Amino acid sequence: MTSRRPSPAAPETSGPLDPRAIISFHHVDLQYDDQKALSNVTFTVANGEFVCLTGPSGAGKSSILRLIAMDAFPTKGQVIVRGMPATRMNRGRVPQLRREIGYVFQDFRLLEDRSVEDNVAFAQLVVGQPHKLIVKNVMRVLTQVGLYDKRHRLPRQLSGGEQQRVAIARAMVNSPKILLADEPTGNLDPVTAQEIIDLLFRVNDAGTCVMFSTHDHEIVKTFGQRVLVVDGGTLISDERRRVPVDRSASLVDNMYRAPEGARSPGARTVRKEPVHA
Amino acid sequence: MLNRAQWSYLASESFAGFRRRKLTTGVTILIMASALLVLAVLTLVTLNLGTLLETARGGLDLRLYLRDDLSTERLAELRPRLLTIPGVDQVTWTDSEAALAEFRRQLGDDAPLLELLDRNPLPSSYHVTFTAGARNPEAVRAIREEVIRWEEVTEVLLNQEWVDALERWTFRFQMASLVVGLLVFLAAIFVISNTVKLTIASSSRIIQIQKLVGATNAFIRTPFLCEGMVQGFLAGVLAMGLLAVASRILSHNLDGLVFFSAAQSFGFVVFCVMLGLAGSWAAMRKYLTMRSDI
Repeated sequence: MTSRRPSPAAPETSGPLDPRAIISFHHVDLQYDDQKALSNVTFTVANGEFVCLTGPSGAGKSSILRLIAMDAFPTKGQVIVRGMPATRMNRGRVPQLRREIGYVFQDFRLLEDRSVEDNVAFAQLVVGQPHKLIVKNVMRVLTQVGLYDKRHRLPRQLSGGEQQRVAIARAMVNSPKILLADEPTGNLDPVTAQEIIDLLFRVNDAGTCVMFSTHDHEIVKTFGQRVLVVDGGTLISDERRRVPVDRSASLVDNMYRAPEGARSPGARTVRKEPVHA
Repeated sequence: MLNRAQWSYLASESFAGFRRRKLTTGVTILIMASALLVLAVLTLVTLNLGTLLETARGGLDLRLYLRDDLSTERLAELRPRLLTIPGVDQVTWTDSEAALAEFRRQLGDDAPLLELLDRNPLPSSYHVTFTAGARNPEAVRAIREEVIRWEEVTEVLLNQEWVDALERWTFRFQMASLVVGLLVFLAAIFVISNTVKLTIASSSRIIQIQKLVGATNAFIRTPFLCEGMVQGFLAGVLAMGLLAVASRILSHNLDGLVFFSAAQSFGFVVFCVMLGLAGSWAAMRKYLTMRSDI
């Protein structure tokens, strides 16, 4: 379902200090109070790349995304996002950086007492966009995610997939350079999950670097792009796939059609289970 | 610089607590108003004691009784000498005959008793009053020490003892007020701080989203600071209003009761607003870090 053509604007980077890298991790350790979350993680992501980050629950996927959003800072090593090194960065500049990063969650995290339109507009309001531009941008992104007609509804009046599309619209309205999606399909059925991943591909088509995490075995198997696998806080695999899959086919069809190398035995059953479970 | 939409949002969010947590916010304002009322009462009592003390100091005087064997010229020379002493304001001469007449008037029906005396027992005297700057124990004592050495003077009467006692009690009350005021101040900050913490906790999602989309800490904090200030303002106005009503009722029974001036009332409310601000700030220092806790 998720396999797609290689991203046209996603050249491979040579290392952490490669100027083409939009995200660089260089021997990164991350320690929470009494628990080591990441250990010696090194990778780079090029501008416009689409990356799947996978691993079992608690492997360190969310920690990597938090480091990129500068919501956590490495205890060792260096994280560079958009040329800004985390360990040497003035904390006062973090909001500026976050305006270039969109974030999507498994549980959508919408404001329940505000309409779809207000949820999306909120992201523009807090960064000080003028009212006219907010109206224009909200209309643009809601049209792109196919929810303009439902702009006056409250989140609880939408399906899970629609709520996730609102979350993506909110993440995209500030035209970020990077979109981080933390288990965006975790609460969705396979068909809706495909819609969301297709939407993320469309976002990527427009030049935004997309990094999404999932522990869904089926999604990873059929994902035709770069896949980073983390386990126990360590990056254990960085695989660049080139698997052409029919974009028009359904999720289930694609999973069945996925080439042998990209599919593991038992893939015919659409189940959500950790890669290493 | 904020645009109109942001101002509108901040204004709306500053009053969000009044819409979303009516009971909590109402109770907070009442508790804070009670604490501030105690503070205001203490301040008002101190103010009234101060006024009473000032009035008492205004009545401070010195009476110099003079030898009765001095010539009129010699007695008259004392007046300019007294006026040259720093702190002396006015000097009034009372001769022995005038003093006797005054004494007779005070005796009223018993005045005929004075006829039994073979001579006027009352000496001539000077009545000395002080300038405003000299109406304090040290200055008055210094003047007394100087004039008592003069050979023309037989006795000096100074009505300072009760003023000293009043001053001592006023000082003690001021110290007690300061301690109680400090405790009330801390309690008020604690109450506001806890309310704002509740507000922050119940607004955790919106704060998280604001952080993730790149809102600055100042932008996130402003509504909470404003909420604390609004609560402080309302509590201050409530406390001052209650005190004004109580003072009006009491003033029928207590002559000369002094209430806060308009400027002092305004200052008290501004102080309450600042208290609200401090409480909010104390709450946010701990709860609003750069992390969004994704």
